[in-house]
Amino acid sequence: MKSRNLFIKILCVFIFLPTLSGCWDKKEIEKKAYVVAIGLDKGENENLVITYLIANPEFGTQQQGGSTNEPPHEIISFETNDLISSTNKANAVIAKEISYNLLKYLIVSEKLAKTKNFIRWMYDATKDKDFKRDTYLIVSKENASIFITNNSPKLETRAHRYFDFIIKRGIETATISDASLHKYLRITEADADLFLAIFGTTEKVDPPSGDDMSDNIFAGQLKVNGNTNKTQFIGSALFKEGKMIDQLTVEETRITRLLSSVDEAPDILTTLPDPFNKDFKISITITQLKNIKIKMDVNKQPTTIHVHLPLQVDVLSDHSMVNYASNADKRNELKKFLIERFNDKFNQFIKKTQEEYKSEPFGWSLHARRKFATIAEYEKFDWMKSYPGMDVQISIDIKFGHFGRQSRLPKLKDVRD
Amino acid sequence: MLLNIIKKIYSSNKKIPRFPEKSNKKEIEIKSQKIYTNLEQTISTFKELYSFPINNDVNFRTFDIRSLNKKAAIILIDTIADMKIVNEFVLEPLLNNSNPTGKVEELLSIQAISKVSIIQHAVDEINKGSAVLFIDSFDYALSISVSNIHNRGVTSSENEIVLKGPKEAFTEESSINLSLIRRRIKNENLVAESVPISLRTHNVLYLVYIKDLANEQLLNNIKNRVKALKVDSIQNLPLLEQHIEERKLSLFPTILYTERPDRASSYVEDGYIVILMDNSPDCLILPATFWSFFHISEDHYLRFIYGNFTRALRMLAIFITLFTSAIYVGITTFHSEMIPPDLLLAISATREKVPLPATIEVLLMELAFGLIREGGLRVPSSIGPTIGIVGALILGQAAVQANLVSPIVVIVVALGGVCSFLVPDISMNFAIRLSRYCFIIASGLFGFFGMTVFFTMGLFYMVSLKSFGVPYLSPMTPKYTSSKDTLFRRLLKNEIFRPGYLKPKDMKKN
Repeated sequence: MKSRNLFIKILCVFIFLPTLSGCWDKKEIEKKAYVVAIGLDKGENENLVITYLIANPEFGTQQQGGSTNEPPHEIISFETNDLISSTNKANAVIAKEISYNLLKYLIVSEKLAKTKNFIRWMYDATKDKDFKRDTYLIVSKENASIFITNNSPKLETRAHRYFDFIIKRGIETATISDASLHKYLRITEADADLFLAIFGTTEKVDPPSGDDMSDNIFAGQLKVNGNTNKTQFIGSALFKEGKMIDQLTVEETRITRLLSSVDEAPDILTTLPDPFNKDFKISITITQLKNIKIKMDVNKQPTTIHVHLPLQVDVLSDHSMVNYASNADKRNELKKFLIERFNDKFNQFIKKTQEEYKSEPFGWSLHARRKFATIAEYEKFDWMKSYPGMDVQISIDIKFGHFGRQSRLPKLKDVRD
Repeated sequence: MLLNIIKKIYSSNKKIPRFPEKSNKKEIEIKSQKIYTNLEQTISTFKELYSFPINNDVNFRTFDIRSLNKKAAIILIDTIADMKIVNEFVLEPLLNNSNPTGKVEELLSIQAISKVSIIQHAVDEINKGSAVLFIDSFDYALSISVSNIHNRGVTSSENEIVLKGPKEAFTEESSINLSLIRRRIKNENLVAESVPISLRTHNVLYLVYIKDLANEQLLNNIKNRVKALKVDSIQNLPLLEQHIEERKLSLFPTILYTERPDRASSYVEDGYIVILMDNSPDCLILPATFWSFFHISEDHYLRFIYGNFTRALRMLAIFITLFTSAIYVGITTFHSEMIPPDLLLAISATREKVPLPATIEVLLMELAFGLIREGGLRVPSSIGPTIGIVGALILGQAAVQANLVSPIVVIVVALGGVCSFLVPDISMNFAIRLSRYCFIIASGLFGFFGMTVFFTMGLFYMVSLKSFGVPYLSPMTPKYTSSKDTLFRRLLKNEIFRPGYLKPKDMKKN
C-alpha cells in the first residue's frame, strides 16, 4: 500500500505540474507573421513611422495540398511610438501575431538617423527579447517605407534571401561595412569611435564628375542599365554618438575596413591608375596578410599612433603590357607607386576624420584603453577629444602575390607585326 | 488504460482469494514410495498415475524375460521416446536370449542405463522420454535413455543478422546449444551446471561459465536468486528473465538476451555467466551493462575502422530516435528563432493548412508508425509486402495530401523510426522507443527545457541502475579497469583486460 500511495503521489505531480505551470511562451510556428525587415521613418512630433516587411511562408513552396498565388511578402506602414507596442497595433491589419524571430534588417531613413532622438528608439531594440543583436543596420537615403516598397529584386523574390545575399556579398567585397545593431550600441556606449552603418538607396543620384569614378561613389551613383532592381547598397553612413553625421564613399569604407583593428579586412578587388600608362588602369586585389600593428604612446604630447599595415597585392590586369612578373625594376617602381598612393589616400582620410568628424571609425580607441591602469584615467584622457590632435603615422608593407594566372604577356610589337 | 496498467502493476499485492482446489496429496504419497516388488501392483499404480487408457501416448508393454524366467514391463511415452531403439536394443535381446544370466544390464546393449528405486524418479524418467524397465521381484527399475524429442536443426540467426562472422543461432535444445558453446571454448574449465527451477514442470536451466574466470560471489548471487524461485513452471528464458531481474518495472533491460552462440561464448570468456534452457533458442547473459545492449557481435568482426564507424552510426541513430521528433516539436512550438529562415518559412508554410497542433500531430504520426510497425511484425509473410506499401506509402502520402500532417513531420517521424532499427537489442529498442514518446510530451509541454530535464533525469536513473551488482553504465561511470569497449572499441591487441566490474579471477586476457 505504501508504495502504491507513493506511486499515485508521483503520478499526481506529473499530471498536475504541466497543467499548473502552463506552457509559457508556447506558440505554434504557423500562427506567427514573420517580419523580415523593419523600416523606421520620422513621423509627426516625436513619433515613428514603422514599416513591416512580412514574409509570406507559403510563397514559392510546392505543396502537395495545393500551392498558392499569394505574393512573396506584405508591406504595411503606420505611425507608432516605439518598436515594441507596434507589434500589437499591426494586428489591426495583419491577422497573425507579429514575430521578430526572422528580423535581421533594420532600415532607417537618413532623415531619422540624423535626428538627435534617434538613439532613444534604437534602445527599444535592447528591450525586446526577440530583437537579435546581429540585426543589420541599414540607412536609406529616402524614407525607409519608400525604400522597402521600391525594393523589388527580380530573382531573389523572397525578401530575407535577397537581403541575406546582397549584404553578405557587399561585406565580402567591402563595398559596405559589417554593421550590426550590437556594434552600433557598443560603439555608441564606448563613446570613442565612429560607427559605420550600411548605406543603401533605391533612388538614382547623378554620379560625381571627374575621371576617378571607380570607387569614389555613394549609393545610387552607380550607373546600371537593364531591367533590374533599383536598390543599391554602396558605401556607409557614419554615426557619431549614435547620430548619423555623414556618409562615406566605397573608397572610404574600404580604407576604414583596412585600417580597422577590430574587424578583419576582406580581400579587396579594386582598380588604380596605371603608373606606366596614363590611359589605362590596373586591377589589383589587396589582401591584408596579418592583423595591423598599432603602437601608441599616450604619454607624449600629442599622442602618437603608429599603424603598421602588411598587405599583399595581386596585380590582375596589365594593359600597359609591362610584364611585372619578369621585370624586377618595374615591380619596384609599382610598389613605390602603390605605397605612395595608399599612404596618400590613408592620410587624406585620417585628416578628414581628425578635422571634420573629430573621431575615427577604426576602433583604435580599444588600443588606447590598455595604456591606462584604470578606467577613470582613460576617461580623463577622453579619446574623442584627444584624437583630432594626435600624430598618426601609417607605414605600409607591400608584398606582391601573383600577377594573374598567366603572368607572361606577349610583346605587343610582335603581335601587331 | 493507464489505470489498468497501474492495477496490473500492483495486483500482486492483493490477497489471493480462495479457490475450490482439490488436493493431490494421495498421488504425492504414492509417488514418494519405493518401487514395489510386485510387478502387477507396479503396473496398476503407473496406469493410475498416467490415466491409462485416457492418456493416449503412454505405452505399457509386458513380456517375459526368458533368461531370468521373470515377468517384466516397459513403460514409456512413445511420442518422446525412440521406439525403434527400444525394439532393437531392449526388447529383442531380452526376449530372444535364453541363456540364463544373473544380470539384466548385461543383456541390454545400451549405454545410458540408470537404476531408479523411487516411483517419483521413475515417473521423472518416463516424462523425460526414457523407457523404464520394471522386472518382477526387483525393488528397483532400470531407466533406459531413449528419448527422441523432436528438434529443429541449427539454423542461421534471424534477429541478430551479421554480414561478416558466424551465422548460426541457438536452437530449442539446450544440449545442442551447449555443444555450440563447447565447440568454441574447448576447455575443461567450462562448466555447465544444471539447476532445477520450477516446481511442477521440472524445468532445468544450465549456468554456463568458466570456472577459473567467473566471480564466485556473482555466481552464488545468481544461483541463489534462481533457486529462490517458487514457480510452478518457467517454460523458457524470456520468462525466466522476468523472474530474476531486479527492477521489474524499470524501463531499461538489465539482462542481455541473445540468440548467437558466438556472442554468448565471447561473454563467457570475459567472465560473464550465461544461462541456457531447453525450449529456448537463445541464452541470457548476466550481468549486462548498457554497453552490451549497444554492441553487436559484428562490431568486433569488422575491421577496426569499419566497426567503429557502425558504432558511431548506431549512437547517432539512438540520439536521432530519441530526439528528432521532440526537437521538431520543441522548435515549432517554442523556439522558432532557432531555425534558419528558409526552414522556418518552409515549416510554417506546410503547417499552415494542418489542423492539429505540432505536438498532437507528431504524436499521432508516431502512433501510426508504431501501429504499422507492430502490425507489420505479425502480418503473415505472404501479405507482408502489401501491408508495407499501404502503411508506408499510402498512409504517409495520403495524410500529407489531405493536409492531416505536414510532410516535414512525415520525414521527422520516418527518420526516427528507421533509426530505431539500428538499436540491435529488442529490449533496448523498446526502452528507446518508449522514452521517445516521453521526450515528445516533455518537449511539447516545456520545449527544450523539458527535454533537457527529462534527459537529465533519465541519465540519473541509468546511473542508479544495477544489474546483479554491476552499475549499468560501467565501465564508463563508475570507472573500472576494462578494455574500454564502450562507445567505440579499441584495436584487438589493445583489448587486454576483462571487464573489471565483474571481478573475474583472471583480469588479463592474453
